[in-house]
Amino acid sequence: MIRVRGMRKAYRTGKVVNEVLRGVDFDVEAGEFVSIIGPSGSGKSTLLHAIGGLDRDYTGTIEVDGRDLHSLSDTALSDYRNRSVGFVFQSFYLLPHLSILENVALPAVFARSGERLDHAAASARARDVLEQVELGARTDSTPTMLSGGQRQRVAIARALFHRPALLLCDEPTGNLDSKMGAQIIELFRRLNADAKITVMIVTHDPRISAATTRTLRVEDGNLFDEGTHRPTAMPEPATPEAPQ
Amino acid sequence: MTGAGLRRVVAANIRRSRNHFLLASIGIVVGIATFTFFIALAQGVRAVVLGRIFPLDQLEVVPKSLDIAIGPLALGTSTLGADIIDDARVREIEAIPGVQTVYPKMRLTVPSIAMGGEALIGADLRSEIVADGLDPALVPDDVAPGYEFRDFDAEPGPATACTEDAECGKNMYCGVPAGTRLSRKNRDDDYGKPPKGTPTVCRHYVPVLASDHVVELYNGALRRAHGFPKLVPESVVGFTFELVIGSSMVGASNKDHLVRERAMLVGFSRKAIALGLTIPVGYVRRLNVDFGQPEDAQRYHSVIVMVPEKDDVAAVAKGVADLNLEVADTGAEQAALLIAIFTLIFALVSAVIVGIAAVNIMHVFFMLVYERQHEIGIMRAIGATRGDITRIIMGEAATLGMFGGLLGVGLAFAASFGFDWVSATYVPDFPYKPTTYFIFPWWLVAAALGFAVSFCIFGAFLPARRAARMEPAAVLSGH
Ligand SMILES: Nc1ncnc2c1ncn2[C@@H]1O[C@H](COP(=O)(O)OP(=O)(O)O)[C@@H](O)[C@H]1O
Ligand SMILES: [Mg+2]
Repeated sequence: MIRVRGMRKAYRTGKVVNEVLRGVDFDVEAGEFVSIIGPSGSGKSTLLHAIGGLDRDYTGTIEVDGRDLHSLSDTALSDYRNRSVGFVFQSFYLLPHLSILENVALPAVFARSGERLDHAAASARARDVLEQVELGARTDSTPTMLSGGQRQRVAIARALFHRPALLLCDEPTGNLDSKMGAQIIELFRRLNADAKITVMIVTHDPRISAATTRTLRVEDGNLFDEGTHRPTAMPEPATPEAPQ
Repeated sequence: MTGAGLRRVVAANIRRSRNHFLLASIGIVVGIATFTFFIALAQGVRAVVLGRIFPLDQLEVVPKSLDIAIGPLALGTSTLGADIIDDARVREIEAIPGVQTVYPKMRLTVPSIAMGGEALIGADLRSEIVADGLDPALVPDDVAPGYEFRDFDAEPGPATACTEDAECGKNMYCGVPAGTRLSRKNRDDDYGKPPKGTPTVCRHYVPVLASDHVVELYNGALRRAHGFPKLVPESVVGFTFELVIGSSMVGASNKDHLVRERAMLVGFSRKAIALGLTIPVGYVRRLNVDFGQPEDAQRYHSVIVMVPEKDDVAAVAKGVADLNLEVADTGAEQAALLIAIFTLIFALVSAVIVGIAAVNIMHVFFMLVYERQHEIGIMRAIGATRGDITRIIMGEAATLGMFGGLLGVGLAFAASFGFDWVSATYVPDFPYKPTTYFIFPWWLVAAALGFAVSFCIFGAFLPARRAARMEPAAVLSGH
């Protein structure tokens, strides 16, 4: 599904050139549950942003489902982010002035014409995905009324809105305590197992990487495939948070 | 992004940032209010000045003044009688393309005074007068109902003998026959004596039209200076007074005989002479001939030319010059220029205010874009194009402009009502004092809203561009 070849990325700050990725090659098959580990500043986020079409300033090729992301226009790339990928960030990035439902339905606003859900259909879809993350009862709340774990589940619901084939998560549990973190990871595992969504999680938590089925390690500008492994359950009990 | 989606996002953003927007819109509101207020004022003043005081759709054509043609050389080239407008010249003026109608005017060339006014203002006035003769056919609409403006003495029929006014009909009096020459005892005698045996007969009053200007000037200035009561034009109609033709307050101008007439005000007209009396041309013609030469029957002093299309005025003026005549300077052009300058100055002042407001809006939007950078990043991450981001910010700016503009126009309306009220309540009458000083044409409101929206969009342009160019990856990873 994902095919990365000879990918290089450097940041230029004034005269200083920081070569973050120096030729990265790997493939990810559809349905995999992958963790990306590595020291802070090694380029994990950079890699994830490039795969998600948020950053096109790199050399080499990234193909997703046979499409070279470099070849896409701003509009086509935006459509790719809108429909094919779901992003989950460490800081949730919910819009504080919108309700939970409006936050989750926001991708509908930016959908390309012809594939767009109308307002009612978008709300119905948002309710659906909120059920999926067990927040169906909180649609009218605003983000500030929710706990961290609940906010992250809203963000996941937003990422799932257009039923993407690929979920890209950048340290999704970094702002959560370990209990809530475990619940989020359990949610990803279910989405991967039941909905057959390909999940890539950037983390520096070894327990999370152990919970996935394959680990990639980024270090010194290179990517090392640590291979596939049997997932080990997260130590915390994976009972979902009771809706308030 | 659909229009509906854009509207929802924009509305939510405006609701959230309403304090910022309120601050940002103050400049726009003030600027647009200034613009609307002063342009409406200029329009209102223009309507009064150019519509009532100096009508632009009529020109007064007069013989070319010969000041420059004195001297022996010029004498040879100036055709004899070039300063005379006779019937033939009137026809020529009428033939100029763009001219709708012409109103030849014959000035009464005999010094005359008017006496009367006791019944009207409580004091007898006596005044040297200027009188113009006009073809009654040209002012049919200006005569008050129940009155007539025509030359009653054109074909004097069999006269009805009388001894007092009551024996005669409505609007008539008992006096000496038309044109009776009265001999004077000396040069100060304003009454004169008819020849022995002159009968007294029923006579029509000489109908008089006055200019709207007269009432305005009287009510606005003269009346207050003398403490006279206010005149309502309708109530003045029917007022009668004495005309003594051939007499002057300047002793040297007196003639050796007099003609006395009684006159009655029958209406007000824009075509009437501004400070003087306008009477049917027949009376003037007979009096001018009586006191002058037979040729005076053909001698007009000016011609009012109606030019309905403003665009034709220049061409008509040229045609008039080609006939060796000239257009009398009414001051209309200077007034129009003054108003145009006044309008321009205030348009510029408001443009400066709105321009400063646009800079302020730019600051506010730069701040908003900075505050919302993560939000913009996440919108990009879930599928917003650069164009979508631009549209959202421009949409907010346009909405701000629309509301600021509406508020500004509303403020201008309110201020104009206040201004008119103060004028009506506290400002004493003056000539041409209008009930409202403002005209708000539809295009002014449209222009005000258009300016408000465009300046807001202009102010938000750079911030919107910055927002659209922001790298979502950098923003979202905190770089
Ligand atoms: N937008 C950027 N501009 C400049 N340098 C950046 C930018 N984004 C990341 N970097 C640098 O690139 C390196 C890798 O960053 P990142 O991919 O965020 O690392 P990780 O996610 O592995 O912690 C870091 O040294 C970081 O400072
Ligand atoms: Mg990172």
